[in-house]
Amino acid sequence: MTQLALVIDLNVCVGCHACVTSCKQWNTSGAAGPLMDDNPYGKDPTGTFFNRVQTYEVGEFPDTETVHLPKSCLHCEEPPCVPVCPTGASYKRAEDGIVLVDYDKCIGCKYCAWACPYGAREIDEKQKVMKKCTLCVDRIYDQSLPEADRKPACVLACPTSARLFGDVHDPESEVSRAIGENGGYPLMPEWGTQPANHYLPRRKTRIKFHEDELTRVDNPLKKDGRLPRTDPDAPFLEDSVSW
Amino acid sequence: MKPVTFREITGNSKGYYMLLALLGLTVAAGLGSAWYMEHNGHWVTGMNNQIVWGMPHVFAVFLIVAASGALNVASMSSVFNKTPYKPLAPLSGLMAITLLAGGLMILVLDLGRPDRLIVAMTTYNFKSIFAWNMILYNGFFLIVGIYLWTMMQRNLNKYSKTAGFFAFLWRLALTTGTGSIFGFIVARQYYDAAIMAPMFIVMSFAFGLALFLIFLLATYQWTGRELGGYLVNRLQKLLGLFVASVLLFVVIFHLTNLYATQHHDVEDFILAGDNIYSGLFWVGYILLGTIFPLIICYAPAFRAAIGWTAAAAILVIAGGLSQMYIIIIGGQAFPMDLFPGKEVSSSFFDGVVVTYSPTAPEVMLGLGGVALAFAATLFAVKILRFLPLSLADAKVDPHHSAQGQ
Repeated sequence: MTQLALVIDLNVCVGCHACVTSCKQWNTSGAAGPLMDDNPYGKDPTGTFFNRVQTYEVGEFPDTETVHLPKSCLHCEEPPCVPVCPTGASYKRAEDGIVLVDYDKCIGCKYCAWACPYGAREIDEKQKVMKKCTLCVDRIYDQSLPEADRKPACVLACPTSARLFGDVHDPESEVSRAIGENGGYPLMPEWGTQPANHYLPRRKTRIKFHEDELTRVDNPLKKDGRLPRTDPDAPFLEDSVSW
Repeated sequence: MKPVTFREITGNSKGYYMLLALLGLTVAAGLGSAWYMEHNGHWVTGMNNQIVWGMPHVFAVFLIVAASGALNVASMSSVFNKTPYKPLAPLSGLMAITLLAGGLMILVLDLGRPDRLIVAMTTYNFKSIFAWNMILYNGFFLIVGIYLWTMMQRNLNKYSKTAGFFAFLWRLALTTGTGSIFGFIVARQYYDAAIMAPMFIVMSFAFGLALFLIFLLATYQWTGRELGGYLVNRLQKLLGLFVASVLLFVVIFHLTNLYATQHHDVEDFILAGDNIYSGLFWVGYILLGTIFPLIICYAPAFRAAIGWTAAAAILVIAGGLSQMYIIIIGGQAFPMDLFPGKEVSSSFFDGVVVTYSPTAPEVMLGLGGVALAFAATLFAVKILRFLPLSLADAKVDPHHSAQGQ
């Protein structure tokens, strides 16, 4: 079974929010209608986003670092939001594993928001139905787009290529290799929800240098003193050449 | 014991119409609030993506739980053969229906899309406890309706015991379902506890009886019908028993959580936090909703005193609403544990306690549901014979005549 998912490399994510804005742009322009925005340019803006970058400060000063965690629906293989939905509006597609909401069947009871342990559900305060990341399902199968563009908007927008997209059940896929080779992990696996989206860990790049690699023993610039004077009586090159 | 005569209340006094008008206005204000929230969108409420169920749900769940509890007095007579409660059984059944209607009015109007109720009624996902609750609510109307019918139509009286038995089983299932809405929630720290279901059943006994008592005492006071000390005393003691039972469940719930280190944070937040939830717990629930009513119900000085019994009932309702607020809002406000074992703080909600301040329309919608329940009851007792002409001791106390009258 195919399970489409995102793999997000936390090591190269710089928290630029390009994925957030491109996601919003694509999904607010789609057939499902705009994603609500209240007071977008003022104080305390609120709105519906499928994807948000959450920025955490890890550690205590002075040993701190900033971690950017882009978070959207993780398209769990055992999604807890699906069984709780009273009308079956929340469902998981058998063919590609994408968890979707049927906006026409959603009655807006918001019970799925209680059930999702990752806080990925967002109520559209205008349409009053529950929304979440669709993995750009209206884009990835669009035959009218060039094949290279048939990816979620966030993946295409990421300037550092921190976001990968593919089938995590296919061991040969780019995403499976990335997970396998770089220690990719799901969020909170202890819930048993088997999130399809994975994160690649932050990696510290340390290089070991030896002292002698840093100092050049024969560095001429290290020689102190005056430059040797030339002997004025020493023969010049011309003296030894007869032409 | 003499036969009990049931009569409609006259209901043509100025006071009756004033009360009905006041309740009607409150219902209208509730409907207006629902329209305002529906028309403008979710953001005019205090709710957000973290606190998705707000004040309306506090009232709705309270009323739904109380509805099944209101049926308790009828069950006492039909199922457990406690004859003194028999004259109160029709009112008990009536209030079970009206309180549920009030609760459902709030619940439905607080849905994102109340216009899609037909979808909810026709498309069921049987894995969802929420879907089961819809069946349980509708079934409750039906089965309690039948039960009332068998009680009120004389030639069907012989079936009322059977109907009462099924209604009793159904109400247990209904409150189990309501409690399980929270009990089945794994994702939030404060829930995921099997005790939620039985705790809600016990809570329903207390809340339902409290609302029932308020209506009963007020009606008999205002209509000048006789209400003997025997029944008041029994109901008073019963209320005390239910309040004490709820306390037992609450204590077990918190002790179990306190035993597990992983739940210390949320318990600290609810019981000892610098927030409204801890205040509501200790002052609202423990002091006002439990200790005071227990004193009133059991101290000999307040024995069978109608005014004090009503006060105890009002306090139980205040405590019950506090408890609902803590369970529903407090549990959502506590941050989700996205990185277990790590302390997090972020620019966007995670790791922070979410603030929620209920807005006026939300409270009005909640009060509208309560008003609907009482208005419907008040109207029904005027047009149908739900209330006995007299509840004097001679009518209800089985030992009264034997005591030398």
